Amino acid sequence: MKHTHTKIHIHTLSCGKVYEHLCDNIDSKLDSESCRRIKAHIKGCTNCSALLDSLKKTVYLYKKYPAPKLPEQSRKKLFAVIHLEKTKKRSAR
Amino acid sequence: MTQTLEPYTDSALIAKVKKGDERAFAQLVKRYEQTVWGFAFKLCRNQEKAEESFQDTFINVFRKIDQFDARSKFSTWLYTIVANNCLMHHRKRKLEGLLESLDDAPDPENPEVQKQLAAWDDSPIDTMMNKELREQMDAAIQELPDEYKVVFVLRDLEDKTAEETAKILKLSVPAVKSRLRRSRIFLRHKLHGIMAA
Repeated sequence: MKHTHTKIHIHTLSCGKVYEHLCDNIDSKLDSESCRRIKAHIKGCTNCSALLDSLKKTVYLYKKYPAPKLPEQSRKKLFAVIHLEKTKKRSAR
Repeated sequence: MTQTLEPYTDSALIAKVKKGDERAFAQLVKRYEQTVWGFAFKLCRNQEKAEESFQDTFINVFRKIDQFDARSKFSTWLYTIVANNCLMHHRKRKLEGLLESLDDAPDPENPEVQKQLAAWDDSPIDTMMNKELREQMDAAIQELPDEYKVVFVLRDLEDKTAEETAKILKLSVPAVKSRLRRSRIFLRHKLHGIMAA
């Protein structure tokens, strides 16, 4: 089977090490030495870069997921309950 | 003329609510209703449950406002109440083992893993949001145990920092990072079938 992962060793980091930090660095703009090494590895590694890309897309999709508006009825119901609570508090005094 | 409460800071409004000012409470609700509703919906993924959580949260705020000591931000307190509501209402699921197994780096030489790591479709992602994908996304996030889901929602959807998330959930920062990593990888794996090129 063809090994698609030949560039890992050039950057001295293993995929396992990158995998461990992949999520911390998903959108990181940090410029530390370890961050630079992780970025260099990802750039040269097909698997890690596909994984990172798909993780970014996963987060993006959930961010884009449309949420419904707060129903007006819900707000009205809340204030009705609060009003009851206040009345109970007053009569308990 | 009735004075508007809009320019009041949270602390000033809270001080008024503590003295029984109903208008100040209404203003606090107005200021934070979308935050609470949005967060509750993202956690529950169900309109009815989100409405229940919305009600419970503000009723709790009203009942316990005297316990709020202003050392933390009001919004942090609100997020904590919503998260506790959500964690209390849902049963714990036994996916811990599976989530822990996601800590292992994939072996790129394993053909099964190669299939899992295949690149995703390059089509513009905004055009891919359809009913089928939404259903898949709902199913995937519902499968995540609440303790993980709440971290994913706070960090990635509400854009809270790891430190803020840790404070809201009373967790350590490394625990937040670990749960976030597992959640993202879990969700990514669940969507892989529909998204792979």
